[in-house]
Amino acid sequence: MQLTGKSKAALIIGLLPAFLIYTVFAIYPIIQSFYYSFMEWDGFSEMEFIGLQNFGNLFQDELFWNSVGNNIFVVIASVFGQIPIALFIALLLNRKIKGLKIFRTIGFLPVVLSTVVISLTWSLIYNTKDGMINEILRAVGLDFLAQNWLGDTKWSMVAVCITVIWQFVGLYLIIFLAALQNIPEEVMEAAKMDGASEWVTTWKITIPMIWDTIIVAIILCISGSLRTFDLIYVMTHGGPSHSTDVMALYMFNETFSNLKYGYGSAISVFIFFFSLILIGIVKKVLGQKFI
Amino acid sequence: METTIKKTTRSALPLHRSTRNMSVKNTLIYAVLIIFSVINVYPIIWMIINSFKSEKEFAVNQFGLPKTLVIDNYIEAWGTANLGVLFKNSIFICLLATILTVLIGALASYFLARIEFKFKNALYTFFIFGMLIPIHATLVPMFILLKNLGLLNNPITLLFPYIAFHLPITIFILTSFMKAFPKDIEESAIIDGCGIFRIFWSIILPMSRPALATVIILNFIYNWNEFSFALVLLNDPALQTLPLGLASFAGQFTVNYGAQMAGLTMSMIPIIIFYLFLEKEIVNGMTAGAVKG
Repeated sequence: MQLTGKSKAALIIGLLPAFLIYTVFAIYPIIQSFYYSFMEWDGFSEMEFIGLQNFGNLFQDELFWNSVGNNIFVVIASVFGQIPIALFIALLLNRKIKGLKIFRTIGFLPVVLSTVVISLTWSLIYNTKDGMINEILRAVGLDFLAQNWLGDTKWSMVAVCITVIWQFVGLYLIIFLAALQNIPEEVMEAAKMDGASEWVTTWKITIPMIWDTIIVAIILCISGSLRTFDLIYVMTHGGPSHSTDVMALYMFNETFSNLKYGYGSAISVFIFFFSLILIGIVKKVLGQKFI
Repeated sequence: METTIKKTTRSALPLHRSTRNMSVKNTLIYAVLIIFSVINVYPIIWMIINSFKSEKEFAVNQFGLPKTLVIDNYIEAWGTANLGVLFKNSIFICLLATILTVLIGALASYFLARIEFKFKNALYTFFIFGMLIPIHATLVPMFILLKNLGLLNNPITLLFPYIAFHLPITIFILTSFMKAFPKDIEESAIIDGCGIFRIFWSIILPMSRPALATVIILNFIYNWNEFSFALVLLNDPALQTLPLGLASFAGQFTVNYGAQMAGLTMSMIPIIIFYLFLEKEIVNGMTAGAVKG
């Protein structure tokens, strides 16, 4: 529809609220964090301009690189845990099967729960003394395998990643299932007529046909797990001895516990570019448009 | 060659053999699916069941049903975690943020989808870019900004980040939906003398009902579960939302598992009921939100 002169005002009234609130509370903070990242500031006293020194320190900060490494570990564990499990279960569900609806309902359930509830539940499950996992191990006579899952640097990261995988498998399961059900039935019929086994059909026809969806899911999985914060904050707070620290958590602690606002902002800027670049690269490699 | 031989041998087999193979395969499939479902749902059931046990019983009988239903855990959790206040705060902020985001977003989407103006595409891209911003990168500047505006620890503090960060996905979903309407809808309305907002309110908005349902559910669940902004922007216990309150409650009471489980169960039940009733809409909304976001 074309606008006449009078309704130019309507245009402004219609778009201004969204534009203002989005610009002030989503875009402006990003710009601000660039500004603060050049400052030394404890949040109270006068800011001091120190140029690129925060970034210089950041690149030599071993604890920071430790958190980047852990973050990448979470991303890899999510992609190689969530995507194959979800795809496998979706393939099993994609046939005339009784109880499909129930399996789907249960599969998606963890996705709607809040991360805090999930983290606290799993903290109880991992509990050393009375947690479910150790109790099961004791019950079947494997006492020696019982661990302080979240308190031991050897296991903490694995334990956290298992929870992350558990939380989101259902999301990808549903995405894959929807894609599978969109494959025209004639294609499958034709394959069956040619005498192709189910194994061959799955690898040669089904998976190639939903390949685009798999790529979308991988990108989603990477950008989602890159943002892990709540779960680790609640479960381990980055500990023990930084073994589960991730970028956002390290930034949070540096800023609000150590009162290094400038330094924390430099980490924010790093997270911003790191996410954009990583997702950009993955999209490029897997052949998708950036936005 | 080999395949043809196989095929003939297979069809030569007695019939019952192949049906038995089929049923073995089906049993295996069901077994895998059931194991998957148990892993998915058992942690939740385990917690709900144990929330009704006394501390003593939990220590000795973790996997059975409770011998007697102990509701002390619930009383303690409701009292010490202040669940009443947490629920009230969460409902208030979620409803308000969701309504405002959808209203503001729908209005903007209407102009972006249906009306020609300069820089339209640039403005649309600008909004959509928000889906790429990692929210954790904005925690520090958001804290400083709201502090400077004197808006920290206010009942409406969380509205600002919640609306700002969910507008992009809301606008994305609504705009693509509204674009699909035929062009002559507005033309006949204009002939009838309808104003531009009138068209929005009485024609476009009602027609967008399915997409509105999606974004309402999406916004509500995101807001209901949100933790990071609440953690950074609210200190006052009287203003905390459910996730934030639960996290600090569990921090204080690491010893009393029963009360902790009771608190978690109570906060989980409403969302599970909501999910069981609106499963289709929730699943559609959240997968659409994820895939597009």
